[in-house]
Amino acid sequence: MDNLLSPEELEFAEKMREFYRTEIPEDIRFRNATGQELSKDDIVTTQQILNKHGYAVPNWPVEWGGQDWTPVQRHIWLEEMQLANVPSPLPFNASMVGPVIATFGSQEIKERFLPKTANIDIWWSQGFSEPNAGSDLASLKTTAVKKGDHYIVNGQKTWTTLGQYGDWIFMLVRTDPDVKKQAGISFLLIDMKSPGVTVRPIELIDGGHEVNEVFFDNVEVPVENLVGEENKGWTYAKFLLGNERTGIARIGQSKVNLARVKAYAATTKTARGTLLDDPLFSARLTKVEAELTALEFTQLRMLSTQVAGSEKPDPRSSVLKLRGSQLQQDITELLVDVLGPQGLDFVDDARLPGGFTDLPPAAVDALRTYFNYRKVSIYGGASEIQRGIISKAILGL
Amino acid sequence: MDLELNDVQRELGSTVRRLLRTKYNAEARDALLASEQGFSRDMWNQYAELGLLSLPFAEEYDGAGMGFAEVAVVMEEFGKALVLEPYLSTVVLGGGLVAAAGSDAQKKDILPGIVSGERLLAFAGYEPAGRYELSAPATKAAESGEGATITGEKTAVLGAPDADLFVVSAATDSGVGLFLVEAGAGGVTVSPRVQADGLRTGSVLFDGAQAQRLGSGDATAAIQAVIDTANAALAAEAVGAMEASLMMTADYLKTREQFGAPIGRNQALQHRAADAYATLEGAKSMALYAKLAITGAEGDGAASEAGKDRHRDILAAKLVIDQAAHEISQESIQLHGGIGMTMEYPIGHYAKRLTVIPRTFDDQDGVTQELAALGGLIEPSAMDV
Repeated sequence: MDNLLSPEELEFAEKMREFYRTEIPEDIRFRNATGQELSKDDIVTTQQILNKHGYAVPNWPVEWGGQDWTPVQRHIWLEEMQLANVPSPLPFNASMVGPVIATFGSQEIKERFLPKTANIDIWWSQGFSEPNAGSDLASLKTTAVKKGDHYIVNGQKTWTTLGQYGDWIFMLVRTDPDVKKQAGISFLLIDMKSPGVTVRPIELIDGGHEVNEVFFDNVEVPVENLVGEENKGWTYAKFLLGNERTGIARIGQSKVNLARVKAYAATTKTARGTLLDDPLFSARLTKVEAELTALEFTQLRMLSTQVAGSEKPDPRSSVLKLRGSQLQQDITELLVDVLGPQGLDFVDDARLPGGFTDLPPAAVDALRTYFNYRKVSIYGGASEIQRGIISKAILGL
Repeated sequence: MDLELNDVQRELGSTVRRLLRTKYNAEARDALLASEQGFSRDMWNQYAELGLLSLPFAEEYDGAGMGFAEVAVVMEEFGKALVLEPYLSTVVLGGGLVAAAGSDAQKKDILPGIVSGERLLAFAGYEPAGRYELSAPATKAAESGEGATITGEKTAVLGAPDADLFVVSAATDSGVGLFLVEAGAGGVTVSPRVQADGLRTGSVLFDGAQAQRLGSGDATAAIQAVIDTANAALAAEAVGAMEASLMMTADYLKTREQFGAPIGRNQALQHRAADAYATLEGAKSMALYAKLAITGAEGDGAASEAGKDRHRDILAAKLVIDQAAHEISQESIQLHGGIGMTMEYPIGHYAKRLTVIPRTFDDQDGVTQELAALGGLIEPSAMDV
């Protein structure tokens, strides 16, 4: 990509590259690079360093800590972050609730929340999905009934990622049950320490605890925690989901993961050489590499037509999500296949004391990530939803 | 970062598009397909008048002094209209080889005739036993003093039936040589064939045919560079054909009714069309990638570092384009149903071109293996190895 950038953009890329590698602790980047689970501390430490330098929330308005960057600069910021194995700012803070508050919130609510959100002094959780509101999000049933200067919230949210760390949760709640389902939804902020909030872990097939159910039993929420206007929540949610889709292809991350697959394959012996030279394995790998390059150039083509400051969603971002998900999943499968018989169990440590040979690198994360990444074609609008958007918005079907 | 066409290129595209819209509708094209010649001399002369035949050549040889970026614009429009004239064989391959390997005198002698539309060229490279191999011809050249004679059999010679001049590869003492052989020379016999997409091709027997060496020394790098350019040109043409095919398919889904409703209301068909669209975007991206690889390395031989990068990038582009052509051509027929299989409806014609393109200069398996052997596009790297 470098030869497409202007001298100023190249200089910016070099600056970011240098910054990430010198300012973000090596041990955090190493854990991220080798697929180890990141602690809450790792994520908070990283985001606070980024925020100190103005790099945590560049997509926000400048007055709230954002940067006056071009779309290309934002792309470079994210790409170089991923290439340097730096954990991304917490998306719930940086690309979800932050932009919603900054765009639709009152001055008072901005002042109350935005600085703490940028600096991750508040860890946000997302309260959108419900057991019966997945792809059909607008059918959500959690209610907020106004009583004096409080809302009384009752219901259940699910798939709340890292909700076990959550200080606050931003919610879509039903405030008017008597209108069209999209028209009766509001965007409400709830302190997770409030009485009546219960977080219950969901164990996933990757053996981890990443998501949760959150229950609300007569939770009292002050009315000033409403963002924007009552019953306008669906508009804010669509805005938020549009933001979520940009960058969701995670192309830089896929490049790093693919480079890792190749490095391990090059040190894995087969009967005829290394796995990297195996004709069938290398053919699969090569096709994924070429497809990833195609996706990168699709993203660059979209960037080059995107005007700075214009936030109008490009329906082609659904192509990025659809194909980016597929490639991320393909790469996790390649990593599993590098390990062969030694990658079929979940272990916490690849080192085997007592005279045994250590398990190969990636034994800790390959299979877990393979199972974990089944999520990427489901979250942020499932692949079938993206196909629906493409067929309607682009092909006119 | 600007990846869009510039104003001149945009204008060129719309000029070609306008011409083809008025002169190259399905009916006109069907008549050409059925004709003896298989393409239109009249259209060829119009391309010459518009300067399309001059685009990649230097001004000193009557060329427009532009580059591959403009050729790609033309090829994409040609792909949309399924143009039958021998642009690829004459301008990109034949003219490209003369420009890449010829002496100044040879370029002065040959290129102006291409630009004016008077001379058609063909590259005689592939051989019956060699599949896509171009680096080890069995065809032999016997050189003596100024001249040479060529003996051997070439096949899949695109544009052979109407070529005035062949550029022939042959084994010499100094590696692979390129030779110019007049079609009318003694000892030249052409067995014409028609590709499934209507393009004229054929086998050519050279039996001691009089020849003139094109340039000097081993031409392997020049051949590689020109085939890379031709693959990038096919990428652009394929994108034009795929886009036309998919848009036509989307229109059909909106208008064809079964069970009392447009068939495009069916989610099964919507999602297949959406997947095909995502594939088309990837193909467009790789046609762009191929264009940048060629324009970024114009003038570099295959042996140079830039030439190696260019070749690797073209392989990657071809890999994606070929797969896309395969998918979109098949899906376009399937989404149409029976009408897509008829000669009277355009979809099948697109499918034919899109079936031929991926197999013209190497195929998917060959490209995949070669790209893998070159180490792919991403360097192996892990923090713990």
